[in-house]
Amino acid sequence: MSPQTLFRRITDYAHRADPYPLYAELRANGVVRQEDGSYLVGTYDEVAALLHDPRLSSDRRNRTEPDQRPLPVRDDLPPSFIGLDDPEHDRLRRLTMRSFGPPHSPGTVDALHTGITAIADELAGALHGRDRIDIVDDFAYPLPVTVICRLLGVPAGDVPRVRAWTTAIIAALDFAPEQDPEPLQEAALAAQREMAGYLGSLAEGRRGGPSGDMLSALVNDDGPEGTLTGPELMSTAVLLLIAGHETTVNLIANGALTLLRHPDLLVRLREAPELVPQAVEELLRYEPPVQFLPQRTPLTDIEVAGVTVPRGAPLVLVLASANRDPLRFPDPDRFDPMREHNQHLGFGGGAHSCFGAPLARIETQIALNALLPRLEGFRLAEDPPPYRRSPVLRGPRRLPVVRG
Amino acid sequence: MRIVVDLNRCQGYAQCVFLAPEVFELHGEEALMYDPAVPDGQLERVARAVAACPVGAVLAGERAGPGGG
Repeated sequence: MSPQTLFRRITDYAHRADPYPLYAELRANGVVRQEDGSYLVGTYDEVAALLHDPRLSSDRRNRTEPDQRPLPVRDDLPPSFIGLDDPEHDRLRRLTMRSFGPPHSPGTVDALHTGITAIADELAGALHGRDRIDIVDDFAYPLPVTVICRLLGVPAGDVPRVRAWTTAIIAALDFAPEQDPEPLQEAALAAQREMAGYLGSLAEGRRGGPSGDMLSALVNDDGPEGTLTGPELMSTAVLLLIAGHETTVNLIANGALTLLRHPDLLVRLREAPELVPQAVEELLRYEPPVQFLPQRTPLTDIEVAGVTVPRGAPLVLVLASANRDPLRFPDPDRFDPMREHNQHLGFGGGAHSCFGAPLARIETQIALNALLPRLEGFRLAEDPPPYRRSPVLRGPRRLPVVRG
Repeated sequence: MRIVVDLNRCQGYAQCVFLAPEVFELHGEEALMYDPAVPDGQLERVARAVAACPVGAVLAGERAGPGGG
């Protein structure tokens, strides 16, 4: 088929369960201008280099080609740091990092270990005696959402609201050509506004009375670079809350699915939990929860693998394809938890590399350690399972397993 | 167990500091300090740090050089 239609085929829901043959086609074709004016890159060396290329912007306002599916533009809030370039991106990210990681708070993620284990054990314990489990609803979803709400200081009772807002916001990111985008985008904007207002007032309520959570730290922390403004705090908090669980749900579910498809490896990991950290890295390579980065734009004409990508054109970095590049990974379509030199791009790379990566890593390690013993005697009820719509944030919508 | 960080490869992602904060330490934004002799109580955390390094810069045991195990 025509290489100009690759992006359309990748985003087509019909290919959600197995986009990997399309990625092989992408790597074979090199960089090709798509019918919508975007350019796709799917080879490891090129994607890795572009992740570090200062000529690429993450700010969609630098696009000259109109987006096929423009993201909702918020009139009331600044973009969060995922959609900004340095120095703004760097300033906001560093201010936010002060309450999450080194150098200011090196022990935050490590200190979460015990609490996450308790939540995972409780969820896994509740599976006892069941004959049918939906791994997404019963386990992969509640774990990360509980953890991120606790970390930020969002009351557990408000999780249903968080879920409703997140669903509306994510729905607008999805490519569904048969749907009219406008109502989706309006719903997403409304959800973003409500979520931002909700998180902003939670934070405001803690001003002057630190309570040990991240919202409280963001509003009270006064470091050498000052603090976030009110609107910056709201944008950042929305980003942390959504990105802080949405992707991890998919990583855990993709992990369970992959291991159920490789029962020998499931048994091996259950018996040797010390192999799990390396297995999670392999999952991030083999079934990354973020398949591609759709929002990069060159600030000047650049050459990628011999092709000129013009300034302002959407440039899509297909991480999941780079992760299967045979020039970088021997036998790339094999899931091998013992793989050596596994420098996957599952968390992106460069200045925008995943902020929450260390949290996602330990959550998924703990999740698999708690879940795998419970899966003894279970098999997939459907293979492939029904997938969520998004080609970007890819993962099962449900993952039913049954005894037998 | 001994560890070595290949500082030519290190790009300051700091995953090791998040995952084993008593062994690895960031001085300022980028300078990495670490304890090359890992105490027994930190082995599990260091194993997670080794697996997590996005550029494979943290070498442990035999890979940390002769007598490293």
